[in-house]
Parts: sequence; C-alpha cells; structure tokens
Amino acid sequence: MFRLNLKIALRNLWKNKGFTLINVGGLAIGMACCLMLLLYVNYEWSYDKQYKNADKVYFAALNLKFNGKLATTMAVPNKLAKAGVSELPGIKSAARISMNNGQKLYSHNRNSFKLIGFNVDPDFLKILEQKFIYGDPGTALSEPNNVLISESTAKKLFGNQNPIGQSIKYDNRVSLKVSAVIQDLPKNQSMQFDVLQPWAFFEQENPSEKNYGWGAITCLTLFQLKDNASLDATNVALKHFIVNKEPDLKEMTYEPFLFPLSKFHLYDDFDNGKSVGGKIDQLRLFVFLAICVLFIACINYMNLSTAKSEKRAREVGVRKALGSTRNTIMGQFIIESLLLSFLAMLIAFTLLEVSLPYFNNLLDISIKINYNAYQFWSVLLAIVLVTGLLAGSYPAFYLSSFIPVKVLKGFKGSTGSLSIRKTLVVVQFSLSICMIISAIVIYSQIQHLKNKPLGFDQTALAQVDLEGEWTKPQKLQTFKNELERAGAIIAATEYASSFTDGGSITSDIQWPEKPKNDVSIINYRSTGFDFAKTTGVKILSGRDFDPKFSADTSTSLLLNQTAVKIMGLKNPVGTVIHWGDNPPLKVVGVVQDYSNESLASKIQPTVYYYNVKTSRVLLLKLNPKQSLSNSIEAIKLVSQRLNPAYPIEVKLVSQGMAEKLRSEKLLSVLSNIFGGFAIFISCLGLLGLALYTAEQRSREISIRKVLGANLSDILVLLNKDFMKLVIISNVIAIPVAYILVAKWLEKYDYKITINPWPFLLALLTSVIIAILTVSLQTFKVAKANAVDALKYE
Amino acid sequence: MIQLNNIEKYYANKGIKNYVLRLVTTTIKKGEFVSIMGPSGAGKSTLLNIIGMLEEPTYGTYEFLGEDVTSLNERKRIERYRNHIGFVFQAYHLIDEMTVYENIEAPLLYKKVGSAERASRIADLLDRFNIVAKKDLFPNQLSGGQQQLVGIARALAAQPSIILADEPTGNLQSAQAEEIMTLFKKLNQEDGITIIQVTHSEKNAQYGNRILHIADGVVKEDITVA
Repeated sequence: MFRLNLKIALRNLWKNKGFTLINVGGLAIGMACCLMLLLYVNYEWSYDKQYKNADKVYFAALNLKFNGKLATTMAVPNKLAKAGVSELPGIKSAARISMNNGQKLYSHNRNSFKLIGFNVDPDFLKILEQKFIYGDPGTALSEPNNVLISESTAKKLFGNQNPIGQSIKYDNRVSLKVSAVIQDLPKNQSMQFDVLQPWAFFEQENPSEKNYGWGAITCLTLFQLKDNASLDATNVALKHFIVNKEPDLKEMTYEPFLFPLSKFHLYDDFDNGKSVGGKIDQLRLFVFLAICVLFIACINYMNLSTAKSEKRAREVGVRKALGSTRNTIMGQFIIESLLLSFLAMLIAFTLLEVSLPYFNNLLDISIKINYNAYQFWSVLLAIVLVTGLLAGSYPAFYLSSFIPVKVLKGFKGSTGSLSIRKTLVVVQFSLSICMIISAIVIYSQIQHLKNKPLGFDQTALAQVDLEGEWTKPQKLQTFKNELERAGAIIAATEYASSFTDGGSITSDIQWPEKPKNDVSIINYRSTGFDFAKTTGVKILSGRDFDPKFSADTSTSLLLNQTAVKIMGLKNPVGTVIHWGDNPPLKVVGVVQDYSNESLASKIQPTVYYYNVKTSRVLLLKLNPKQSLSNSIEAIKLVSQRLNPAYPIEVKLVSQGMAEKLRSEKLLSVLSNIFGGFAIFISCLGLLGLALYTAEQRSREISIRKVLGANLSDILVLLNKDFMKLVIISNVIAIPVAYILVAKWLEKYDYKITINPWPFLLALLTSVIIAILTVSLQTFKVAKANAVDALKYE
Repeated sequence: MIQLNNIEKYYANKGIKNYVLRLVTTTIKKGEFVSIMGPSGAGKSTLLNIIGMLEEPTYGTYEFLGEDVTSLNERKRIERYRNHIGFVFQAYHLIDEMTVYENIEAPLLYKKVGSAERASRIADLLDRFNIVAKKDLFPNQLSGGQQQLVGIARALAAQPSIILADEPTGNLQSAQAEEIMTLFKKLNQEDGITIIQVTHSEKNAQYGNRILHIADGVVKEDITVA
C-alpha cells in the first residue's frame, strides 16, 4: 500500500509539472530562508556557550546612579575580585580583566603586529578553559612577564618555529616570554583577544592601579560560582558589598550583581539596573520571521493542493467506493506532501550552501554548517516533517472528506473551502505587507541616522594611535609638521581616545550654582590645538584652544552645548569651573553638539581640556585636494621614517561611523531579503488561487464571452475578487505594521516621524503585484476558445 | 439478499419536500439480474445509490444480507464495500494515476489480500477479459469500452456478491455495449453474482431477468423477464 501510494504521489507530481514546480519552488525558498535565519539565530545564540562551566561563570555588573538614572556597567572596582573570593561563600574563583582595549604593539625580531591583549588574573584560565597547544593553565600566567598567545598570533610572529620560551617585545620596550599557545578563539565569543598577559604585568605598567579605591571602576571581573552555590544568595550578599566597604559611595548607589556570561552577548541592554533584553529581541524577531516565511510557504502548498481538488475529488470518491478508509486517503495526501517537502528540502539545502558564503560576507559573520552535529540533522528532519504535515494536513483533511456520491455525480468544489483558502491568502498577504512596511521604515530610519547632520565633518577625517616616538611631544610636533609639509594633511589634533568610541566620565565637576545633591555625570576628553579646525566642529561662542594663550595648556576648558545646558550657564564663556584637585578652570569656548559616539542616542555633556600627554589618538584632516590613498601613503612613509618600530594604521572616522549602524544594517538586510522572498512566495500562492478560480469559472467566462464580453471585461471580473483580498490584507496589515514599527522606533532618540508613504507604497506594491500575478493566469483563460469549455459539460 | 421497506428520499427546499423516491418496497434475491428503468429524473440512480449505501434514505429501512444497514457508520459501510459490493460507473471512474493493473489491484489492497493471492486474482481477471497486454497502460490510453472492462474487472476483483452498475454502457457504442452486457449476463449466470443495473435501454434490460420500472419516484411495474 505504502509503495503504491508513493508511486502514485510521484506520478501525480510528475504529471502536474508546473504545479509541482510552483509548489516545490515556494517551499524550497521558504525552507532556505527559514534555515538561513535559524542558522544565524543559532550562531548568535551559541555565543559564549562553548565553555564547559559556562553556566557557572558570571560577570560582575554594577548599578550606578548616572545623571539621575540607574545605569549598569560591567566595569567594577579592581578590589572586588579578591574581596569577593575571600568573603563571599558562594564564589569559587574570580579573575579581573583589564580594560586597556586598544591594540598594542607586539614584536619578535622584525615582525611587528598590533594585537588585542588582555591582562587577566591567572585564574582566568581556570574559569574559562582554553584549548592549550603548548604550555598549561597552571603556569601560563604565573610570572608577570609571561605571555600567552593564540595559534594564529604564534604563526604571525614565529612562523613555524616552536614559540615556547621565545621572547616577544611589548610596546617596543618590555621583553616578554611566551609561556603558552592556545587554539584560536571561536568567532562567536564576546571576549576576543590575541594575547593574554598576567594582571601583575598590568600593575607594573600602571602603578597607580593598585592605589585605586572602591570608587574607581577600572576593570571587568569574572566570577565562578561553586557548584552548589545559590546565585540569589550571592547576589544578596553582593548588593551592599561595596557600599559597606565605602559608605560614601551610597550616594551613587554602587550595587554590584552577577550577570551570566552566557547572556552577555544577547542581553546587552539594561534599563534602570535591570536587564531588558538587547540583541535577543532581534533574534526573537528573526525566529518569528523564519516561522512566518515557512508558514507562508506552507499556506501556498495548502492553497495550491486544494485548488487542484476538483481534479482529485473523483479519485477520492472512487477510492472510497472501492473500500478505502478516510485514513488511507489522508495517508496518501500526507505522503505526497512529505515527498514534496523532502524534495523542497534538497533544493533548499543546495540554495543554502550556495548562498551561505554571500550571506556570511554580507553580515560579516562566519556561519558554518556543522554536518557532524546531530542537532543540525534533526532540525532539518523536523522542518521537513513539520512542513510536510502542516502543508499536507489541510488538503488531506479537506480532500478526504468528500462524499463519494457527490463527487461522482460531478463535483464543483465547495464554497466553504474557497473561503478558507481566501483566508489563507489574506494571512499570507498581511504578513508580506507587514514585512514590506517594516523594511521600508527600517531603511528610512537608517538613512535618517546616516544623513543626520553629525555636527562634525567626517569626510577625510582619519585617526592614528599615538605610541612609540609619538608619546614624546617634540617628536609628535615634528610628525605633524612633516605631514603638513608633505601635503598629506591640513590640520591635526590630539584626542583622548578613538574618536568614534566612548571615553572617560566624571561626576567631580563643580560649577556655579550646582545643586548639592546633583551627581550629574559628565564626559571629559583631552585634546590638542586646532580641535575645531581638524574636526570641523563649530565653535558657537568664545574660541578654540590656541597656543597664543599660555593658560590654554593648563586652565582652559571648552564645553559642548549639552554641558552648557546641564550646568545652566547663561554666559558660559568666562565661567570658572572646579574639577577635583585641579586649579580653577575657565571656560574659553562652547562647541556645537556633535554625534560621534552613537548615532541613535542623545549627545552627552562633555568638557574638553588641553592635554597632549593623556591623548591616545591623533586626529588628522587629510588634504582634500588629493586622493585619500595618496594622503594615507604619505602618512605611512613619514611614520616609517620617524617611528620605525610601530607600523602605523590610519583609520578613517567615516568607517567607524558606518560601523555604528551595523545592527540596523543587519536588520535592514534581513528584512529586505526575507520580506522579498515572503512576497514572492505569497505571489506564487496567489497564482495558485488564480489558477483555481480560472479553472472553476471557465464555463462562466465562456458564457460571458458568447454573450459579448471582451477581454478587458473578463480580466476586470476575475481581478475584482482578488483585489478584495489584497485590500482586506492591507486593512489588517497596516495597523499591525504601524504598531510594530512605532515600537521599534521607540529606542531611538533621533527617529523619523512615521508618515503615510511607506504604507501607501506597500499598498501600491501589493496591489500591482497581485494584478500582475492574477492577470498572467486569467489572461490565458480569458483568451481561450469559449467552445472548448462549453462542450465539456 | 436486499430488502427495501418503504424507502423514501426527499430534499426539503423552503419547507417544500421534493420527493425523489416514494414508498419503494422491494426484495432482490441472490442471483438476480435486475434492471432499473425509467425516464430521466425518475429516481433510478438515487435508488441504486441507496442500495449501494452511497446515500441514506430519508425514511424507511434497508436490509442487506439480513442486517439493517439503513444508517451505518463509515467504518462498517467501508467494510461492506470491501467485501460485498462492486461498483461499475457510467464514466468508468478509473484512477488516472494508476495503471490498469494497479486499478484492479486497489480494492484488493484495501481488503488487505496477500500479495501472492492478489497477483493470481489479477492475472485471472486480466486473462478473462483479454486485457493482459494492456495491464501497464494508463486509463487515458484505453478506449471507452476497454476502460469499462477494466472498471468491471476492478469491481470483480474483491469477489463481491453483488455488482451495482449505473448506466454501465451509457458512454459506449452499441457494439461495445453489447459486449459488456453479454459479460454481465455471463457473470450472473455462470458465477451467480447478483447484478443491479440502471439503464435507459430496453434492449440492455432484456439481458437481465427482472425489470423495475420507476417513474416519479414510485415503482410502477416489476416485470420478470423469461
């Protein structure tokens, strides 16, 4: 029986080739989309979960009062790790991780590379087990001058030699000894480093670190809980841990808590001290999208198979009269749909393998299909089964319900099933229209953020790290002069840290009439002369730092607009401000607000002070009269001559700014691609319904033609019904989409106002696509010879 | 074998009852060859459908092989289809996706007949109807008469005790019709299969041994043919 059913199913599919093609094609695209999204979700989901005891490892997070709101940071006092292990019973071990995030120069003989290095406590290697190629976790970080490197770093520095015991020069000054080599880190791990050095080395390099009190939040800390320890109990004990040590901090809250390492990547948003999601929301959206696309494809199958029901009805009737039970007939239809979904999966799989590299490239990730994992195969199998059963269930149920005597007498399809089919089409189209609208809104929001005036001029603005010779002010001045002489730049200024990243904050600034309880947090950035000239930031009042005024190098400040507003200064220029132990500082200028750290959120109050020594970065305004590559080449030449030990890396600020929209871009790309496919599949579904109706009404059409209707009359007649469906879909989809996009836009401080045109565009698109699809099919029927259809009866 | 008592069938439309059959009472014995005749719309096919349990009467009782089958559940009805009743249709109703062989095999599969037994019965039928050469063809590759032969072979495959034929020759040319009717007569006389057919043709009715004339849902005449 089963074999015969399979054989008949195959014959059926072969006989209706066009129908099979539409069906398999739709299902295959749906499945490929679904798989792709699931692979991506799995990739993000697998972040930081590869460690054996990942579920016992936590970051210490800290809630702080920050401009009146409770903010959460992963930076904690460096004393917390040691005190935590010795005083809290639930904690097994702890490790600090330094926050010197920039890349440092590591060299061996003439191989010099800038690498990401972390300084960690030796217990780091016990908490997060690394895969050692050489060396062992016990001794790898036992001496301050030990260094642990990754496999690819070892290759870069030493080629194929055994790196153990070799020396590496750090920052061209300090000699280190390679103590261990570990396998390269997987890409789906939050903490990415090339080099690990002991915390002791960090303290050697930064002697002041040891003296910091509980108020300074300077490092990350990992805690590992004991196997039987309760997280809640430890959190309770932690809550007042810091405040108990240093009661003064109570004003700023200072409440640490444990945050799981495995959630670090996905739950990165905090509001008022509580985790409120983050990337996970996007993932949920993608899972939903995956299910929707697959569901749309399934609806297609249901639609097309029931549309063919008239053809199959007779078969069902005969079979029943021959003594077949309803279950056997349902089995037959289910086998057919399973077969189809299996075929579709084969195609989907091929599509997936072919498009995966492009997809990886597009999103800058590295998803690989792990063929050895049983999970992968079981998901694949599950999708085939679910799709087959879901898609086949309705046709099976519907078709097997035919009463033999009715269908044998001449069956004309029941209107009841048509309305179900119409509902399915409406569902499909509503989903698709929602996707179109969301895609348009996401796109325009990104454009809005991109085109929003930044307040500074990012064209031809570049930055280089200040290191080696550049840390000597004389040499740095020579460098700047030479660059200007070579025509590579027109202006340059020092800056505290990378221009596109965040920087230091303080609550220690006093201004006239500052309320007693005000603990406003203010950003501070060091800079050099020519700040406004280099960055293109407007000075609204007063002036930029200027070498002509000797006070500028010690007691002058610039404020940005937001800072002026927060301080409530009427005439900011000339105001005297106190900051910690510094001598009184005078405001000499106000700069316009500009967004460099985040495009989406409000600009923070910031003060600028002149200091070349604490600045880590040199901002360069490249010469606009020549090409970027020429300027960069010239900079490299000069740098090689003056600072030969350090290979220079010129980073364009505009690239850094584009990076900031990465997650939005991802959303846009995915919603465009998969929304597009969803619409395509929906159109196939509509084609199916048009096919059915045209078949259904061929007699009516013929009679109308005989009565004198022309082609256009008939096309209008047939399109009218479908238009109704599409309009209903729009009526459902538009409010839903409005709510969705309004909610999505909430998180942006700068957002577009939702206007009607994305909705109109979606409406128009859906209507046009529907008309085209339907007409394609109905045209054939309308043109057909009337006699053929009439003779049939 | 078949006992119909006061069978009525009507369709209510806006409170008005449209009678198709009225108070039909008749008995059909095993081994009879009955032809049901009458003008269009007289209720012939409805009567046959009721006998074949494809439709239920609105009123009255129907006994099949001594059991009341007036309203059976689907499972029990299917059991009767499998073991006792063979249908032959005017439009043949072969399954297009199956070959001749598979079409004949289908009822045996439903009846769960073993494969060796199945093969021998089908071979026997193909042989008897001279369609061995056609066993791998699909229905649309056969002429109407050949299709109806396959249809009859299929009806016979499950070795039913009764064959119900609704205008079996209605779509055939007279030579082919004659062939089919001869076959029916032979089946009735040699194999003792009860046959009930609906027909328009007086000539075809003569092949049987009893004629029921129906008009306006009422049995007008019940003639035994010599």
